Amino acid sequence: MKLYISENPAAKSADISRRIAADDMILTSSLPTTAGSRMLKGYMSLFGAEVLTRLDNAGFTLAGKANVGEFAVDLLGETSYFGAVETDGKLSNAAAELLKAGEVSAVITLDVNGYPRRAAAQNGLISLKPTYGTVSRFGVIPAACSGDTVSIMANDTAAVSEIFAVIAGHDDKDGTSHPEAVCETAKTAAVPIKRIALPVNLTEGTNEDVKGKLAAFTASAEAAGIEVVKVESDIIAVSNIAWNILMSAEVCNNVSRYDGVKYGYRAENFSGIDELYTNSRTEAFGELIKSVIIFGSETLSADKYNKQYDKALRIRRLIVEAFAELFSEYDAVLLPACSALSYGEEIRADKYAVYTENRFTAPASITGLPAVVCGSVQLIGRAFSDGSLLAAAAKITESEGK
Amino acid sequence: MTLGYLISLEQINQLSLTDRQREEIIAFFAARDAELERLYRFDTADTERMVHVMPIMTVVREDKAVQLFTREALQAAAPETDEGYWCVPRVLE
Repeated sequence: MKLYISENPAAKSADISRRIAADDMILTSSLPTTAGSRMLKGYMSLFGAEVLTRLDNAGFTLAGKANVGEFAVDLLGETSYFGAVETDGKLSNAAAELLKAGEVSAVITLDVNGYPRRAAAQNGLISLKPTYGTVSRFGVIPAACSGDTVSIMANDTAAVSEIFAVIAGHDDKDGTSHPEAVCETAKTAAVPIKRIALPVNLTEGTNEDVKGKLAAFTASAEAAGIEVVKVESDIIAVSNIAWNILMSAEVCNNVSRYDGVKYGYRAENFSGIDELYTNSRTEAFGELIKSVIIFGSETLSADKYNKQYDKALRIRRLIVEAFAELFSEYDAVLLPACSALSYGEEIRADKYAVYTENRFTAPASITGLPAVVCGSVQLIGRAFSDGSLLAAAAKITESEGK
Repeated sequence: MTLGYLISLEQINQLSLTDRQREEIIAFFAARDAELERLYRFDTADTERMVHVMPIMTVVREDKAVQLFTREALQAAAPETDEGYWCVPRVLE
């Protein structure tokens, strides 16, 4: 079981409260960055990510690069070339295990397709996927650029808030970065969370454990003076179908750069340039990423572009509008983050399970809205309400069991 | 998804799947196509496409000629180089 793909031995002496890890989608110039893929095994970047520079300047020490699924698109990291992480025979996640073991106080992750939120929910941790554009993505391996968000996982909301305060902010080097004043708004708890909508049709297909967590969260929220109201939304329920189209198209484009020539894995046997490309990519990419590439390529083809890709972009607007309508009455939306608190053999045997399991995380991915995982469930808020979500999560956690 | 179409997608993407992988992907696409029907139920004829989820402005900077990295540094991660060039197989016979 490999929790770190590469480690910084000098970090052992650092104070635990200042010791962090980053998943292997985040570039570092002092340690290799692999994206969990054979394609990038041993790859050394010439520069590091802006988020890690900010954390270094704030006195945090990077302990190592956490194992991650290939290009962070899978369930929990099971497609990593460096091996899946398992605990007691159950699929787990490297970032979550590092936190539970007390190795680090926080992990910086890249939320492409929801893995950090699933991992946090299954391990009783806190995760923040900030509002799209509030944290710099300079120096992050791109996967699905219209949704990729640098995220934070930690044991408690205080640690997540502390890290968010350091890394959120405008960055000239990132073309999708909001102005500083807007990023500052996201750090404050300006609008208190008083009413939460729970779209019940999006809880279908979850097991009793998850339903129990939703009920417990609802009870704690109500004990903290926050009203939870059941609603329905047909359009939000198809978020993952549209997101799978957009994500696959974007990942397909982004990984087209890996051809075994300028960097990355190169096949040993080939007879010409075409075979060099084909053999390198075939040998280096795992099966899930290959399916994403084929899916994305088909979706962008002349035959399917209008029917699938164009449709998904229009559906994205309808989903954004549906959330806006909910936010006219409610301050946040409560959703599960996963269908089960641990994945059984059935879901693990299905190598394409993530395309359906991401139905809980895709709503925040496709809209760029902030999401906090707390109490093993997920709270999605208005854009730039990150601080308010964290404050609500802390308040609800405090009221647990009262 | 037919086998012939899948093979053409493999070629476009410089991949070569095994027979087992092809069978699994064709089955996956059949299930996915059924799921897509749920999207088509929503009328989007009068809905604008949404590429960017936030009103983010493109960063405009003044052009500056700056050498960020040396040729040697850029080639340090290359599988094979020769006197400052990336090595690839001969393209023209």
